[in-house]
Amino acid sequence: MKINILIGGKAGQGINKVSEIVSKILVDQGYFTFNYRDYPSLIRGGHNFNVLCVSDKRVGSYESELDIIVAMDEKTILLHKGSLKKSGIIIGSKSFEKLGRNLNIALAGVLIKLLGINKNILIEHVKKEFDNKETIDAAEKGFASQEKKFDFRKLNNKISIMTGSVGISQGAVNSEIDLYLSYPMTPSTGVMHDLASRQVENNLMVFQPENEIAAVNMGLGASFAGAKTMIGTSGGGYDLMTEGLSFQGMSEIPLVVYLSSRPGPGTGVPTYSSQADLNVALRGGHGESPRVVIAPGDPIECVEKTNEAFYLAEKFNTLSIILGDKHLAESEFSSDEKPNKIIPVKVNRKVPGESIVKASSYEHDKFGNTTESAEITKDNADKRIEKYKKIKEECKKFEMIKIHGKKNSKNLVIGWGSTKTVILDAIEREDFKFLQVLYMKPLSDEIKNEIQKAKKVILVEQNVTGQLGRLLREKTGLKIENKILKYDGRPFTCDELKERLMK
Amino acid sequence: MNLTTKEIITWCPGCPNFLILESVKKALEKIKREDIAIVTGIGCHGKIFDYLNVSGIYGLHGRVIPTATGIKLGNPNLKVLGFAGDGDTYSEGMAHFIHAGRFNPDMTLIVHDNQSFSLTTGQPTPTTQQGYESKASPLGEFNKPFNPIKLALASGMGFIARCNARDINHTAEILRVAIKHKGFSFVEVIQDCLIFNIEINNKDKMMYKIKDNLDKKIAEKLAEEWDYNSKKGKIPIGIIYHEEKPSLEDKWPQLKNLKKKKVGWKSLK
Repeated sequence: MKINILIGGKAGQGINKVSEIVSKILVDQGYFTFNYRDYPSLIRGGHNFNVLCVSDKRVGSYESELDIIVAMDEKTILLHKGSLKKSGIIIGSKSFEKLGRNLNIALAGVLIKLLGINKNILIEHVKKEFDNKETIDAAEKGFASQEKKFDFRKLNNKISIMTGSVGISQGAVNSEIDLYLSYPMTPSTGVMHDLASRQVENNLMVFQPENEIAAVNMGLGASFAGAKTMIGTSGGGYDLMTEGLSFQGMSEIPLVVYLSSRPGPGTGVPTYSSQADLNVALRGGHGESPRVVIAPGDPIECVEKTNEAFYLAEKFNTLSIILGDKHLAESEFSSDEKPNKIIPVKVNRKVPGESIVKASSYEHDKFGNTTESAEITKDNADKRIEKYKKIKEECKKFEMIKIHGKKNSKNLVIGWGSTKTVILDAIEREDFKFLQVLYMKPLSDEIKNEIQKAKKVILVEQNVTGQLGRLLREKTGLKIENKILKYDGRPFTCDELKERLMK
Repeated sequence: MNLTTKEIITWCPGCPNFLILESVKKALEKIKREDIAIVTGIGCHGKIFDYLNVSGIYGLHGRVIPTATGIKLGNPNLKVLGFAGDGDTYSEGMAHFIHAGRFNPDMTLIVHDNQSFSLTTGQPTPTTQQGYESKASPLGEFNKPFNPIKLALASGMGFIARCNARDINHTAEILRVAIKHKGFSFVEVIQDCLIFNIEINNKDKMMYKIKDNLDKKIAEKLAEEWDYNSKKGKIPIGIIYHEEKPSLEDKWPQLKNLKKKKVGWKSLK
């Protein structure tokens, strides 16, 4: 059983609350949910919508055909009724207008009734969050206004909901992060908000500097002084940071960077999603120095891979970049799995206060003092490349790629990052094997073998040039001819991707 | 305590940077060497990194203040000194300079102001006088220089001083007070460049020493006395403004805790 519910309205009306209440209750009932958030860059008015997909099996995407539309305004009906199934239902908000700010709670009540869930569960949930009579009355009013249409009876699954942003901040907390530095920029800001909200109890600090240039240089200063440090940003902010990433390459001060991409170039489409920043994640910054780039595909992987990023940064005094996007950061994923065991991250290097330590943006000798010697310049460049080889060896301890789907299939889908879960949904029960690339740098040597074993290879990416495809061609010499690319800022819906895969 | 390194000093013969180096060594005499961390920018001044045997970061051009602030965020118990140039601070790194007054990290910024980008062979900086001809400005610098002391006052900095590089003892004395000040201390050191922009050199006769000043109105007047544009007027030397304000380390409970326990993050968890 799988249904798709669209909840739409103006920004500020509280549509997120509707999907939050409904998904929390459904998850408690043992159902998997996936919630996509679509909103323009404005604070009040406009048109926002969420699509909540509910299923008794694992789900990580939504469908373009809707079962229910919950409309908090007329515009929602106008814009989305074309996507409604013939059997679909529209729930308007006219009869609840008198409820004012509790309109969204009433609509959550309507949905719970439609889904065939017990009233007590709804009321208990609303009571827990808002202990006031008007809100509870609104939920009851909503519940009473509809007839039951579906039968979401209790299942025996233990499921939790997480966004990619929370996954990344949890991974940082698991690594015992000391300091997070970030200048606000959608869609990276979720991590900043989450870490800031729990900084005191987790004994860490979240600081907002004057700009991204300050963030990266402060990050290096703090890490030099012994703090486990992560900085976070998106497109244009990352561009500003690249001088510091290059500086990291020379100074070898450990640093973790979270890059959450959105459609560019320029300011682009700030509140939508894209995978077009892989190239800059791999190469942003002048000169040649090692780095690690990891792209988790769901919140559980965000937890695990952020921990690995911290571990590698400290172990090799290197730069670790966690690459995500808006779809991963802000969509709400559900899962019945738990992240891997935490890898302890220790600061073992000498820091000021203990002894004399020098770090430099100039080429330098073993004391950290400036040199222009031809011999040292060459030796240090060689050492940096040698270090990269060691990093690559160490990365083999982790899952650099994952193989999903039918293991013996000759049809190979290759994808990365936030397309993971929609690919999983689209190939379910079909004759496809799915190679998910998690480590973009270093790249797994197994990828070439997998491509060579396959009869048909299809690349799925959310950008216009197929950046992973180009990277694979560079590293393996193999060109992938079949590409499914989407670059309108919106994620693939499950049916859309399936149709394109089956062509 | 010997802070000297074995590095060969590559400043031009007679450069006032040698004198600033001596003042700094004197000012640091009584501080535990392991507790000091310096940050330098890029420019002639930055070479001081190699000549001081203390911990530190030879950072990027313009980024002395954020890098040094970062060190304080990592371990607020360290004594942090930033060395920067006039082009470094007032051109490339201007945003950071203004925000230093707002965040107020407990550190000292020493700006070596020779009114010229000298390591890149003499282009004008924001404190270069009008009319200055260089390879980059053969038509003469059109713009009036801006006044860093006025800007520092407007940015809310709690310690603003000006020194003469040639007066080693006085500079050392001001630096000692600046380091003791709890919060951001800004010390501008007026120095000559012997190779480029020489026409603005030799201002000693214009300089006069002032008493430590705690009055904002007087500070504003002192800041106006020299416009960086001419060799007319008077150049006050000394502490132009001094006021205690809550520092970054006082404001954040996490940093207060590190200070109380006398540790950095590394030893906390």
